[in-house]
Amino acid sequence: MRANGVVITGFGCLTASGADVAATWEAVLSGESGIREAATWDSSGWPHKLAGEIKDYRPRELVSDRKLLKFITRQDVIGLNAVSQAVAHSRIIEHRDGLADPTSFNDRTGVFVGSPATKYRYQHDYLSPLANAAGDSREFGVRAMEDVHPMWLLRALPNNVLAYVGIQYGFKGANANVTAHGISGSQAIAEACRYLRDGAIDQAIVVGYDSASELEALPYYASVGLLSSRGLRPFDRNRDGTVLGEGAGALVLETRDAADRRGAKIYGEVLGSSVVAEAEGVLSVREDGEGVSRAIRLALEDSGKSPDEIGMISAHANGTRVSDAAEARAFTEIFGAAKIPVTGFKWSLGHTVAASGAIESILALLCLADGRAPGIPTLEELSPDCQGANVSAAEQKPRSSVGLVVSRAFAGLNSCIVLSSDG
Amino acid sequence: MRARSVAITGIGMVTPLGNDVPSTWKAILGGESGVREISGFDASGFPTRIAAEVRGLRAEEAIEDRKSLKYATPFSLFALAAAEEAVQDAGVRPTPATAERWGLVSGSGMMTVEFDFLQRFQREFAADGEIDVARLGAEGERFISSPEFARHRAVAGQALLHKRYDIRGYSANLHTACASGGQALGLAMRVVRSGQADYVLAGGYDTMINPIGFAGFCLLGAISTDNDRPASASRPFDRTRNGFVVGEGAGFMVLEDWQRARERGAKIYAELAGEGNSLSSYRITDSPPSGDGPMQAIRGALADAGETVDAIDYINAHGTSTPMNDLSETNAIKEVFGNRAHALAVSSTKSQIGHLIAAAGAVEGIFCALAIKHSTAPMTANLRTPDPECDLDYVSEGCRPMQIDVAMSNSFGFGGSNSCLVFRSPQRAETR
Repeated sequence: MRANGVVITGFGCLTASGADVAATWEAVLSGESGIREAATWDSSGWPHKLAGEIKDYRPRELVSDRKLLKFITRQDVIGLNAVSQAVAHSRIIEHRDGLADPTSFNDRTGVFVGSPATKYRYQHDYLSPLANAAGDSREFGVRAMEDVHPMWLLRALPNNVLAYVGIQYGFKGANANVTAHGISGSQAIAEACRYLRDGAIDQAIVVGYDSASELEALPYYASVGLLSSRGLRPFDRNRDGTVLGEGAGALVLETRDAADRRGAKIYGEVLGSSVVAEAEGVLSVREDGEGVSRAIRLALEDSGKSPDEIGMISAHANGTRVSDAAEARAFTEIFGAAKIPVTGFKWSLGHTVAASGAIESILALLCLADGRAPGIPTLEELSPDCQGANVSAAEQKPRSSVGLVVSRAFAGLNSCIVLSSDG
Repeated sequence: MRARSVAITGIGMVTPLGNDVPSTWKAILGGESGVREISGFDASGFPTRIAAEVRGLRAEEAIEDRKSLKYATPFSLFALAAAEEAVQDAGVRPTPATAERWGLVSGSGMMTVEFDFLQRFQREFAADGEIDVARLGAEGERFISSPEFARHRAVAGQALLHKRYDIRGYSANLHTACASGGQALGLAMRVVRSGQADYVLAGGYDTMINPIGFAGFCLLGAISTDNDRPASASRPFDRTRNGFVVGEGAGFMVLEDWQRARERGAKIYAELAGEGNSLSSYRITDSPPSGDGPMQAIRGALADAGETVDAIDYINAHGTSTPMNDLSETNAIKEVFGNRAHALAVSSTKSQIGHLIAAAGAVEGIFCALAIKHSTAPMTANLRTPDPECDLDYVSEGCRPMQIDVAMSNSFGFGGSNSCLVFRSPQRAETR
């Protein structure tokens, strides 16, 4: 065991499949999907209209500070809601408020965020000035100053969730805002662990959030062949793409010492992590899965675990032809013929991109804790090129309390987190 | 020394004062200003019409890979040019044998969707300013090209750099507004220290000088409106300061495990010796006047570097030229350095190059390395009316020849993220 082990003392999430961790976990276990036709706009007639949107989105119920709603956008609201769930779950505020002087506690609490960076929809505020300016560039400037909200830039900041988690709770420690597409959530966990292990902080709030299924994202992702119009079917012979979704997952991480000092309930441990690049370009993915297998190998090394100690894999499983096959090859490469249960969650939640690594780490932790790896009900026939993925439509049982979470992103980025549900 | 300390062995930059390190540094020493009337787009309708723009960069000449250039936004081009200079300067690059031991850490800008795309979108789908959703659904998949889609990704620049240099190891793409570049260097330092990589290409790149990004700053009222006096519009710590001046560009460093650098006989500019990283948790645009927030970053960086306040010779300040930042930063320095505060040379190079946003911390970190190497503290230009509340030694008389063994660079972002980095001279690093 490491001197500075990192333990998980709280978590929360908000997904298309459920408004909190319990509801999401229940939905996944019972084979329910939150994927529907997009309903935040009229998507009838759209060729690709499936999305994992948050249901009954009511911002005033999701964020306690109503004034804040003027300065943040939908994805920020979702992210902050997951954080408030995780913070409540961990009871660290009760602990902090019992301290005679909380200064040091606040200074040594970090915030690590997986952020979707910018969104197309932010720029929609400029469509009206553009239309009214009718091609006159000077007039556009004049109109923009008149028509657009003075706080526009602040609403569009990619680090709003980071900033408001700080402001809301008074945390002042080390922080990072990772904008690395599909690995952002996992990498936020990994970087929090780095600063915890380095001794720069004692506890950290980690959150990944995204509203990946925004209006313009659907046609544009579809234009490069990444979306399915029929549903997300990971590793299936007839899989034909992913489905974008919204959501957020948040965790409270602490050094084991800090958690023990305050007598916190410990739900699990982050044993190790990795981030590697394939260096093939923005959208290219290596078909041999080299990046995935190297990410798994390095994360195992970092955690001091061998492949035969792994009890379960939460795969990226995004339902695209190339990524799923590459991932399955990587599993064969690392685990050989060992039949380690593999599951995934995007078939139910959609691909929440910058949030996915955080949400799926929480769900993987529940799999390990409860000894249940949910089946993938959209899997009808395992694809010949995905034989390395030991997936099933039926529930499987993890072989140990240690699991892997694999996340992948544009720019050929791959990340792996090694988790244990042991206290 | 630590088990693994971190050497800066290559530097590269693209700034409003020059498209490489030598020309930029020469202009810094010459007291030049990079601020002019905006030429990149028609800013005549905006209240501010000045900025510090990169001029005359022909990235196509530095980057022969035409296919990659199709995937590059304007600020990715800055990144490619600055990274190329840094890698050439370091005299080392990834090989098939070392590619997995190279990492890439960058702070990148937020304006990934170009203005001409938005204009086309408006003409195609929002003729009257309202989006025709049915039409977008029917035509949207044919509207965008594959390179356009790729360029709009926040990781587009990261992908180009990975591919161009075949960097296959660790990767991080960060954005904490104006702290991005500093935080990227700090994280990169930790990655080398921990052994996760032996070499990291690390830096920042950004431009907000386009109609949308610029409108955002104008709307906020955060930038100087001194349109008639561009060269003196950025005047950090001056009593009449009235906002920052938007700049653009990129800065990259090659960071390397110290022993490895020594063994291959590399020239070493400085040691990247410490990082402090904090959150102000106060307001989105400001730190408090007390300096709380930045203070913790400065203390953290000193502790991480194993230095005391007595060791610091020079601070490259965040020094944006906004009323609140410069006051908050001054007070943070006073709070941490106590009696030593007035003995420090503190300057803001933003007085000459403007505020490079996500690139600022990276470029200013390189200035610290150059200040150590050339035994010269850059000046704070345009400081003519002293502010009684900002009363440190801001090196306002001109660049100052002085021995610099330990330098510090501050970067504080919108959103409250703060980064402070400590740089040590090679001599001091070796004798510790």
